[in-house]
Amino acid sequence: MKTVSGDIIIIGSGITAANMAAHLADNTTRSITVIEAGRHSTPFRERGKARDRYLAYGENPWSRDHVDDQNALGVTYGFSPNMHVGGLAMHWGGVAPRYSPEDFTTRSLYGIGDDWPFTYEELDPFYQEAEERMGVAGEQGPPSLDPRGRPFPLPPIPVNYNLKQLQLWARNADIATWSTPSAKNSVPYLGRPQCQRCDTCYPVCPSGAKYSPDFTWDALLSTKKITLVTETLVRRLVADPRTGRIVRATGNRTDAGGEEVTIEGKTFVLAGGFVWSPHLLLLSRDSAFPNGLANRSGLVGKYLAGHRNIGGQISLPMELFPGINAQHSLVSKQFQRASYKGKYLRHDLRIWESGVGRNARLRDDDGTLLLGDALLADWKQRAKGATARVRAYYDVLPDKESKLTLDDTAKNRFGDPMPRVAFKDAPESAALRAWQEEELRNLFRRMAKAGGGEVLSLASSSNDIGQEHPTGGCRMGNDPSTSVVDGWGRAHDHENLWVAGAPAQVSASCCNGTLTFVAVGLRTAAGIVKAG
Amino acid sequence: MALDAAAAPGDTPRTLPQPSPLTRLAVPDDPSASNAAPETHASRRRFLKAAGAVAASAAAATVGSTVGCAPSTSGDGEGKATREEVPQALPTRTLDRRTLDAVGDVVLPSTIGSAGRAQAVEAFVTWVDEYDPVAEEMHGYGYADVRYLPPDPAPGWQSQLIGLDLLAQRMRQRSLAECDAAQRLEVLTAALATVDAQRLPAPLGAPHVALALLSHWANSPGAWDLALEATVAPNTCRQLDGIDAKPRRAFGGTA
Repeated sequence: MKTVSGDIIIIGSGITAANMAAHLADNTTRSITVIEAGRHSTPFRERGKARDRYLAYGENPWSRDHVDDQNALGVTYGFSPNMHVGGLAMHWGGVAPRYSPEDFTTRSLYGIGDDWPFTYEELDPFYQEAEERMGVAGEQGPPSLDPRGRPFPLPPIPVNYNLKQLQLWARNADIATWSTPSAKNSVPYLGRPQCQRCDTCYPVCPSGAKYSPDFTWDALLSTKKITLVTETLVRRLVADPRTGRIVRATGNRTDAGGEEVTIEGKTFVLAGGFVWSPHLLLLSRDSAFPNGLANRSGLVGKYLAGHRNIGGQISLPMELFPGINAQHSLVSKQFQRASYKGKYLRHDLRIWESGVGRNARLRDDDGTLLLGDALLADWKQRAKGATARVRAYYDVLPDKESKLTLDDTAKNRFGDPMPRVAFKDAPESAALRAWQEEELRNLFRRMAKAGGGEVLSLASSSNDIGQEHPTGGCRMGNDPSTSVVDGWGRAHDHENLWVAGAPAQVSASCCNGTLTFVAVGLRTAAGIVKAG
Repeated sequence: MALDAAAAPGDTPRTLPQPSPLTRLAVPDDPSASNAAPETHASRRRFLKAAGAVAASAAAATVGSTVGCAPSTSGDGEGKATREEVPQALPTRTLDRRTLDAVGDVVLPSTIGSAGRAQAVEAFVTWVDEYDPVAEEMHGYGYADVRYLPPDPAPGWQSQLIGLDLLAQRMRQRSLAECDAAQRLEVLTAALATVDAQRLPAPLGAPHVALALLSHWANSPGAWDLALEATVAPNTCRQLDGIDAKPRRAFGGTA
């Protein structure tokens, strides 16, 4: 049996864990031990080759990035089997918007959903810290739409030629847009180079301009500020039945030997994301805690939240050149901050250049085979003009029964049931869905008309794939009967157990969530420091 | 993985990535394992390719029949090739370069010139040669399971090249390479008549080697620039400087 110890034990090594570890290392003298079930994946020096092979064949650029028998079941859109050092954010796109103030007070403002136990203004310093630690390049939007306490740490990724044309189009439709905040270096930052618009931010940045958690881990390890234990799957937390304190964690090595491991610490932090954090709490059931740990409320695994989208392709009478910087976009928060008189709908808006409908084709409209010069002549005609890609995430309020459960029909090699995920809209969201989605389609039709263009296609998130940028499962709140952790992420039932980032969130807003996951995690780190 | 469409710049990142010509890459079995012996990877790849070749040889007749040119077992008339007169359908993944060049002359535009065509064919051959069958597919957002790329398409494609040669023999009494441009087009058009697709398939999903070659080229930055008549160079790493300027016109395009 192997024993691992530390003052602070962080379980999971994803983007929230990495930034929390950095915060803790900067603000405490306590020892920090990070436990990761997976291994190190593709090292930085190999990412250029990995990118080439991804582009050429669709190969996974992240080698050894999962543990074979450790996976979630059910509608898991937004989930990935990634379980390696750095987690899912090793292949994220780097898009880093903040939620808007309304997200934290939907109950107070609109009478729906639930308020968070803190406000946007209270989270603002942690947003700032997250942006500075990761290096977020951003353009200050109109202050009324895009409030923030201090400027972005990096100037924005430039609005390129294509996006400039699309920005004018949006303006004609009375929509204010600006450069999407991105954790990509618009200028060299923290030893990493400027973005080279390789357009493979998702899934792999070959230059290091996009932030990924390994950069933080490498820095912490090189200065010996943390201990990182890989290939170690935490399978149980053990709590003292009298005090509720977590006394240890137990698990096994995930290598071939599968050696048993005991992890001893004073403070335990679950940073395993919306799947593995509640999963571990449920797995940790015993005679004293038959429903699992931190589960006095019965809400562990409940209130999984996310958002869906309507997206589309719109042809426009202008000239664009697909490929200038295709993964970068314009963003608007105009519809996240609108005041609502009647039915509830809040959404973001993103606009990209697009090559859809402008690529080569095999047969023309008459079905004639196109080869050689005929294909190129046809392609040149198709390549003229412009296509814009648009997408709006709209928020979905979670039902209590939007949940993760243990599925005894699927077990890993150690006999642990795997998590099963099933999203469910709250009744108010379910009732509004058809209307909300039609409103978004109408928005895109209106935008097309304003530009003298035509909607080529409109599509909605498929109902059976779950929700995007998922959160929840260990929701925070002030009332122990309706929440799992408090506003700092501390479990109501266990004073030395904290749940970090996405799983603690009450809702998932209507924009990409990673920056908020990290900001919420940093707030939890501050809470740990304060608790001593 | 959806193999039905070549991705275009600006597509959602969830679509199939855009193939690009590769130079020869020395890719170790596990790039993160610096101590991994390269031989391990090479052995695995050789095994998978050999296995794919054996499977493909068994299916070669079927592949050939889809273009109406199943190898004949006897020389039974004028223009009918015999097994002795054409390359055997060996379980090989090495593409017959002479026939492939002839295919390239038909499917690739003349604008890129003979040197450009040769370069495109060479890039395609390199791409085929470096393919790692059943490698793990990128698993990003969208599905939670681990999926794998297709088996090696090369043996099937080689049998199609043989089939094209046989078809040329039947239609024009000479090999495809010996046909003139019009005859080659005639043979290719006949061979592709049953391909029921409006969109150009992605190379790995291409039902015919001619389309794989065409698609591989059409997804290259150079092909896109040719179509756009401008210097954009999608999917290549380059500086942010000047990103707000209209791309420079090229290839005969007018500003």
